[in-house]
Amino acid sequence: MTAATLTRRPGLAKLRAASGRSPLHLACLVVVGLVVLAALVGPWITPHDPNSAELGSALAGPSGEHLLGADVAGRDTLSRLIAGARTSLLGPLGVVVFSTVAGIAVGMVAAWRGGWVDSLLSRSTELVFAFPGVLLAILVIAMYGEGLIAPVAALGVAYVPYVSRLTRSLVLAERARPYVSAYQVQGHSALQICLRHILPNIAPVVLAQSAVNFGYALMDLAGLSFLGLGVPPLTPDWGRMVFDGQTAVQYGYPLSAILPCVLVVLTVVAFNVVGERWADRVARRDK
Amino acid sequence: MPPPRVPEGRCRSRIVVLAAVLGLGVTACAGPPATRAAAVGLSQGTPRAAGEIDSFTWAVYAEPPTLDYTVAFDYPQNTVLSNVCESLMRWSPSLTLEPGLARSATQPDPLTWVYDLRDGVRFHDGRTMTPEDVVFSLDRQRDPDNAAAWAENFENVASVKKSGPLQVTVKLKKPDSQFPQYMATAAGVVASKDGVEKAGRDYGTSGSLACTGPFTLGTWKKGQSLRLDRFEGYWGARAKSKHVVFKFLTDASSRTNALLSGEADGGYLIPTESYERLRESGVGKLYFGEGLSTVNLGITNMKGALGDVRVRRALSLALDRSGFVYAGLGGGGTPTHSVTSRAAWAGASPETMKSVFGQLPSTKRDLAKARALVKEAGATGKTVTIATSSIGQDVSLLATAVQDAGSRIGLDVRLKSIAPNAFTALFTDPESRVGIDMFPLTYYDSITDPLDLLTNFKTGAYLNLSGYSDKRYDALVDRAVGTYDRGARLKTVAELQRHASEQLPWIPVAEWPTAVFLNKRITGAPTTISYMYYPWAAEVGAAS
Repeated sequence: MTAATLTRRPGLAKLRAASGRSPLHLACLVVVGLVVLAALVGPWITPHDPNSAELGSALAGPSGEHLLGADVAGRDTLSRLIAGARTSLLGPLGVVVFSTVAGIAVGMVAAWRGGWVDSLLSRSTELVFAFPGVLLAILVIAMYGEGLIAPVAALGVAYVPYVSRLTRSLVLAERARPYVSAYQVQGHSALQICLRHILPNIAPVVLAQSAVNFGYALMDLAGLSFLGLGVPPLTPDWGRMVFDGQTAVQYGYPLSAILPCVLVVLTVVAFNVVGERWADRVARRDK
Repeated sequence: MPPPRVPEGRCRSRIVVLAAVLGLGVTACAGPPATRAAAVGLSQGTPRAAGEIDSFTWAVYAEPPTLDYTVAFDYPQNTVLSNVCESLMRWSPSLTLEPGLARSATQPDPLTWVYDLRDGVRFHDGRTMTPEDVVFSLDRQRDPDNAAAWAENFENVASVKKSGPLQVTVKLKKPDSQFPQYMATAAGVVASKDGVEKAGRDYGTSGSLACTGPFTLGTWKKGQSLRLDRFEGYWGARAKSKHVVFKFLTDASSRTNALLSGEADGGYLIPTESYERLRESGVGKLYFGEGLSTVNLGITNMKGALGDVRVRRALSLALDRSGFVYAGLGGGGTPTHSVTSRAAWAGASPETMKSVFGQLPSTKRDLAKARALVKEAGATGKTVTIATSSIGQDVSLLATAVQDAGSRIGLDVRLKSIAPNAFTALFTDPESRVGIDMFPLTYYDSITDPLDLLTNFKTGAYLNLSGYSDKRYDALVDRAVGTYDRGARLKTVAELQRHASEQLPWIPVAEWPTAVFLNKRITGAPTTISYMYYPWAAEVGAAS
């Protein structure tokens, strides 16, 4: 049963080259590296102030001054893309960290304790499952206003069931294995067994799920920003840039809207591929 | 087995081709031609219709919540209502006052206005218009229970009475030069007493509007469209189209696409970002006309940093007005430092015009002076919040321009996003303005008189958003309102304008003409802001 859980999925395996030098993985690694670098040092390397509006240069095409042109308010698109990496990655990171920690805790307690605790936690997470994450985020934004915290918290809660259900099934499988019984006989506490012995064993699979969640969360948050519900106006953010770019599309010069879309897609794909690969390595599923 | 390797040369050439395609794509997707901001010429009108037409479709950006004339104060309501209900006087396409349902308006003394009504005017239900209907209709505006949007224009009215078989006399408490002009707006609409009473609380939202206009209210599909049918018993020239269908298209791009695809034949209030596409589409023509409209920053809080006039002046000096006109108004506008439009001053003497517009500063921004003013006011680093919304380019880009200007002169300008449907509340609900220091505000005059706008800065005025108060200003407003002679009145109004330019209760940004698009099938719609109260749809007919 455990072996079946850890078996590599053939779909993703097909994407990768049989050898360790997968060009797709390498390309995705470069994309992830660049995006993370931009998120870390973006504010210091942007060629222009991302919020400096030169209205007279609105929708200017690519030139020496503006390598990727300017948006409808005359702001440098390249600078906004670089500066936007931080907001665009910080949000999904918050969602993933929260949902992973909370999901592992909920799933582990449910599987370990069983009985009514399991029923209560499982039904509760199923209740959250039934509620679309984006809808929950819109509701929270309506109550608490715009900003990054409200949608991140809402999506974090919405993503908990994905992790908790997986964790629960993994812990149930681990719990049936002899090493757990051995630790119990030796008098180890439940907390000790869960955190020190079961968690390391299930972590790769859970983290792989979280890596996939990262991509989905990025898309959800970009979608909220596109609806004008995410980050406040002026904040450089890829989703917000697409929202602001709607006008540029109307003008017939959609570059400032297309580029952030491309970055969102590339980043989601890159994180998924790299995440899967990394999980495989940690789990040694390809050996 | 390793995958077959692509020969290096082919791979390189693919990369070159891909790069070339990407480069072409990037170039094609960005960079407007330098001619985009070419100045727009204002048209007096559109060519007269060559003949009748069965029907035409008109795009409007929102569905009117009601068509009750007492609360018709916004674009969508009046664009429809002006074709169904008529007023005592009429605002012509050349923005002058003409007789409407009253064939004449006379003033025997400064406190009396006598309206002689047209004979034989029929309501849509077939009844004939009487002075009782006029008295009833005007009294509805004055009734506090109705909370009419036009009530302020009746504050000097003492009584409205029938004074003859076809005559109504309005007695004023004090001379009011604005009242007779407002009788050409929705404030002067005449509806059938019987019809309104019969409709009761449903008046304006279903059934007939019981008016006299060239069209009657037809099928209203809530949330979708509204149809007007030609009124065959109309007293004036028969409408050239049998039906008019108003389509409610809230999304700007949907509206533009509807115009381009022929789903809609025309529309006013064209999204500024669509000017170029529509102009170059070849499916119709985009006209611009006198809008008597200015885009401003309405100051809503005089207790914060903007309470210091030096900060308001600094912000005004730092604004990139030309850039805003180029990007925010699609090049269709004129940067200005005047809250009133030039055309509103029609009839003013050259001396008055010079005193109003000659003293205004250059529209070029002066950042050094602005920074010095902020520093002098001790406002460096202070926070100013501006409301913004995705309601249109004129709003969102002006807010962005203000933020940019503020950051260049040492102010911390923050943007607060407001949902499009909540944006109107900023005008009407003081509660919704809490926490906001200013918001982009487009104001159109409902009469050809600059006093229409400048009365808003009088203490306690409905649109005095910040509670601005100046006794001298109030006295000047009262004097101007009480002066019937236009030339003399405009001299006083010029003083008001100078005061407003110095004190900046609103920061003027640009004059904005009206825009109307007509496809090749139809013609005849007026280009000026008169469409708010003039039965414009009656003149729209076949283009050939």
